[in-house]
Amino acid sequence: MAVRIAPIASVLALLTIVGCASAIKNGQSTALTGVDLVSMTDDMAGKIGSDAAVNAAAANGPLKIVVLPVVNELRAEIIPAGQANAFTGRVRVLMAKHAPDRFVWCMNRDAFYDLQRRELDLGIDPGPSPDRVQPEYALTATFSSLTDETRKRRDTFYVCAFQLTNLKSSAVLWAGSYEVKKEAVKGFLD
Amino acid sequence: MNADQRRWKEGRVRCSASRSSFNYLRASAFICGLTLLLGCQSSKVEKEGRRGVQDYLAGNYSGAANKLTPLAQQTDENYVLNNLRLGSAALAAYDLNTAEAAFLKAWEVINAGGVNSGARSVAAVWIDEKLKIWKGEPYERALASFDLGLVYLMRNDFNNARAAFENALFKLRDYASDKDEKKDYTEQESTFVLAHVLLGRCWQRLGREDLARGTFDTVTKLRPDLAPLADYDRQAGTNVLLVVEYGYGPRKREDFDNGTTMAFAPTPQTAGQIPPVRVLVDGRPYPLAGTDRPTIDTIAMAQDRRWQSIDTIRVTKSVIGTGLIAGGAGYGLYRLNEGRMRAEDAAIVGGLVAVGALLRASSNADLRQWEMAPRTVFLLPLTLPPGTHDVTVDFPAVGVGQSWRGLVVPQYGDVTYYFRMNRWVPGPFVWPPNSPAASPGGFVSADALK
Repeated sequence: MAVRIAPIASVLALLTIVGCASAIKNGQSTALTGVDLVSMTDDMAGKIGSDAAVNAAAANGPLKIVVLPVVNELRAEIIPAGQANAFTGRVRVLMAKHAPDRFVWCMNRDAFYDLQRRELDLGIDPGPSPDRVQPEYALTATFSSLTDETRKRRDTFYVCAFQLTNLKSSAVLWAGSYEVKKEAVKGFLD
Repeated sequence: MNADQRRWKEGRVRCSASRSSFNYLRASAFICGLTLLLGCQSSKVEKEGRRGVQDYLAGNYSGAANKLTPLAQQTDENYVLNNLRLGSAALAAYDLNTAEAAFLKAWEVINAGGVNSGARSVAAVWIDEKLKIWKGEPYERALASFDLGLVYLMRNDFNNARAAFENALFKLRDYASDKDEKKDYTEQESTFVLAHVLLGRCWQRLGREDLARGTFDTVTKLRPDLAPLADYDRQAGTNVLLVVEYGYGPRKREDFDNGTTMAFAPTPQTAGQIPPVRVLVDGRPYPLAGTDRPTIDTIAMAQDRRWQSIDTIRVTKSVIGTGLIAGGAGYGLYRLNEGRMRAEDAAIVGGLVAVGALLRASSNADLRQWEMAPRTVFLLPLTLPPGTHDVTVDFPAVGVGQSWRGLVVPQYGDVTYYFRMNRWVPGPFVWPPNSPAASPGGFVSADALK
């Protein structure tokens, strides 16, 4: 009897597995993910907060910083508007939380109103309106990548560079980068 | 053992054999029922998807989007397909937010690796190829990336548009052979110069003259007939780009041995030539000066499809299935002729025929495809004075055209307009297009405003 049940059970198990497998849960992607967002912004916020030059500049009073969305210089990878704001927006949120006395943050107008529209989805507070603060510094981020794709795999090496720039003098007060390599191996039916 | 005992034992064996046959029948009926149930459910969803496609083909873009939206949220094996269908409908209805979201969802799965690994692969090979998560043929993947790039281009988001066009070229690498990949990449990219042209335009708008010139040079090298379109100065001097999608890509059909393999129809020889395009601005013909050449022909591109290993598996399964059916029938006839047909023999015959039939039934080719994919795309750069203009794109040779009134040309910068040519959607329409809830096609007809 056990011998007869085995094939039926296998078919049922297979059908169940097939039925449950989601198109978006299987597979590997070379795109930046929420995990990258968290680790990258944690890293950048920590480095800005502990930088001697930044702290020296903030000693004379809080730095007024405008946050700009990420500039996409990635090869064959897209950063939709919401994500472009989220990468720099989260750095601002972390810094505002951990060093509220050293920084006053504002966003550029486009990003502010866009993030305000998406606030509920992203769970990120867009901060004060850009019309209320005259910024002295800009926090910018430029994401670049080397991407290649063959029939068998897709590889992307990301360099995500952040900069804190004095808007009057154009001097770079702080610069940091986050690097990550991603690989997606194509399967038999990919 | 006495005669009674022998009769009792033979009776028990016969009884056991018939019980065994009954159990097999019961199990088979159960599996068939379950398969039918699953099949019914999926065919209902497929029918709804087909209705959405029919709405699109009839020019009812908002109706198509309404039908496809719930399907595109299901993360099943048709997730990519339904999102591409939804993206097409939304793009034609100028609902760019929905189009971006849908194309982006499809893009993520298309670009991922190992999506069909594990049980999906096994199920696709041994049960039904339609169980694999559909990612499209290489030309469909390239067009998906292109349409996403087009959405960004229409928003003047040149960096994301550039990235999408670069990705479109990557997708064609799946055509390349393993032996000589580098050479094959160039060959395949030459069939999709469409992406190169817009990539060059993006580089130009991003201030990268060096990369723009390099890209336009590549276009001229790959397709000398497109040299006027890839002219750096002409592209720099134009402030309006019309992206015109014409016709439909090839249809997948069953081929060879009762649908075991798949082929594309029509072929470039039977499809006929792509008709010439004409543009009227404010009622006067606009001089296109050699930029009116079709940039791609998906009917020709589809013929490049490599013979995938799954085709071979299907053929093998079909042959084995036929063999099992024939073997089962032969064994049954042999036993009948000998007059020694027992319950076990009947079960063996039934089993062989059933397994053979299942193998044959599960060896059908997967005919899913992105029905909205165009046959060709025209890129028509225009230089127009700022203000509003009435623009008509038509194909006099086949009597297909579309008109828009009041298309806005800004004082500074670029604007890109998308025309999806459809016999049933000639217009004239009034710019800006209303919400997708408006008239068929999602647009406000100029006649309706009278």
